[in-house]
Amino acid sequence: MGIETQLRQAITVFRFTALGYPLVMWGLFLDDLVRPVPALLLVAVMAAWTLFISGFYATRGFRPPALYADLATSVIAVAASTWALELDDRSVPVSVGPLLAGPVLVWAVVGGRRRGVIAGCAVAAAGMLFRGGPTENTFSEAILFIITGLMVGHFTRLGVEAEHRLREAAARDAAGLERERLARDIHDSVLQILALVQRRGDDLGGEAAELGRLAGRQEQALRALITSEYYRHPFDGQRDVRELIGRHACDAVTIAAPATPVRLPSQAAHELAAAVTSALDNVREHCPEDTRVWLLVEDQGDQVTVTVRDDGPGIPVGRLAEAAAGGRLGVARSIEGRIQELGGEATITSIAGQGTEIELRVPRQGGGGGDDGDTRGRR
Amino acid sequence: MVTLVVVDDHPIWRDAIGRDLAEAGHRVLAGVGDGRRALTAIRQLRPDVAILDLQLPDRSGVDVLRELDDCPTKILVLSASGESEDVLEAVKAGARGYLLKSAGTAELLDAVERVAAGDAVFTPGLAGMVLGEYRRLANADEKHPVLSERETEVLRLVAKGLSYKDIAARLFLSHRTVQNHVQRTLNKLQLHNRAQLVRYAIEHGIDED
Repeated sequence: MGIETQLRQAITVFRFTALGYPLVMWGLFLDDLVRPVPALLLVAVMAAWTLFISGFYATRGFRPPALYADLATSVIAVAASTWALELDDRSVPVSVGPLLAGPVLVWAVVGGRRRGVIAGCAVAAAGMLFRGGPTENTFSEAILFIITGLMVGHFTRLGVEAEHRLREAAARDAAGLERERLARDIHDSVLQILALVQRRGDDLGGEAAELGRLAGRQEQALRALITSEYYRHPFDGQRDVRELIGRHACDAVTIAAPATPVRLPSQAAHELAAAVTSALDNVREHCPEDTRVWLLVEDQGDQVTVTVRDDGPGIPVGRLAEAAAGGRLGVARSIEGRIQELGGEATITSIAGQGTEIELRVPRQGGGGGDDGDTRGRR
Repeated sequence: MVTLVVVDDHPIWRDAIGRDLAEAGHRVLAGVGDGRRALTAIRQLRPDVAILDLQLPDRSGVDVLRELDDCPTKILVLSASGESEDVLEAVKAGARGYLLKSAGTAELLDAVERVAAGDAVFTPGLAGMVLGEYRRLANADEKHPVLSERETEVLRLVAKGLSYKDIAARLFLSHRTVQNHVQRTLNKLQLHNRAQLVRYAIEHGIDED
């Protein structure tokens, strides 16, 4: 049941309860009333109206004509009360009381703050107009009506928004679950078959081997896609480094990482991932085609380390320094620059014939990895 | 020669692996497709090695591993699921090695022989997860297992894709010593996992049956 229905029901209960007020007043002031029978008649008419309009709202919704009629009835009731509820010893007639708040509440629920205030003003003005001008009594009544319209309108808006957000969140959760289920199914069947095709292709050789290689590449691409969907949960401005770096996984690039998310502030995570991409580009540019690369992601609590290792020919001693001296600082500058901006450091070690290793270390600012340990829940 | 049981719910897969193993001179005692049959086959036939898929129709491969805790058969996990948490759980539950299904025949045969000989078979991906698990436990559990400096060093090199031979050369160690270091990292994790289960059982009063 939506919040609007619940509010409508609450207002109906309020309106019937509020009918008690003029009834009690009628009983208390019976001796002083100038016209007791028309007074009772007015209360009866109001009761009938409340019954009718509540039924109308429940079955046919908050239609504008009904809303205007509801408000007009209240104004008329105020006017009628000056005559029907007149007392012989007092200048001010008995009030119909809280019953008048009924349409104000309805207007506020349907139209928000502004409509609520308008309805409140209308009822308040009627009170002042027909019941002896701006006296202390009518004035405080007026303020109560206007505040009622304002507050109920405001809270209804808040409630409707909260309800909307809750529904969105529920839909998102459901979509996430469905995606996980799909991913599991794909794991189960498609990936297995692709891996099998690759395997048999390898054994058969020739054209079949080429088909196998293609299947293998698809298997890897699909797996990367599934895992990135799995990990696509932003944690208040933080990103999972594994997710950003995981995109590089392929035949030639092997990724090793913890089983739990490795979080860094979004900006830092992206910079780190960009540095890794430059390192990989560098391998592609300078190393033979069959060079393999291993990426290791480590979470050391106060810092995150990503190591990029390749089994290429390595950088000859002095080559980096030579490049720096010659003003050709492509790799070193772009990688080191990015990491240093994050307050971290990059070390490049290379042994001729044994490949190159670039270690990128980025500190966790403020509190040094406070989200480590128990808050780092498992998925 | 190694005796084996192959557990996988895809018959084509079972056949393909079985054929490769037989051609290499090993003996496949049985091939089964679900967890219940796997438990019976492994308990009765007592193979040297069981090759286990983690996704089975009736129960997870991790559950099968847990139930086989006291069985001498060494288990090699062969999974299509990539390197995610279930692989780590499998290793903690007692698997001696792990390979992706996309691994080649030569790699599989090598892994089977090494697992049969009592070695731990690691992929770089698994090494990365094991490293991460030690660090996670250091923050989450008072009685966490600790890696020695050397073990951490070796595990990091495995995660960076170096072969045991390369690692031995780089650290001036014997091939055997490197293997022992890797195996110890796995043993400690499995021991810790078992101790945790026992602690849990005692705390919850289910140690009597």
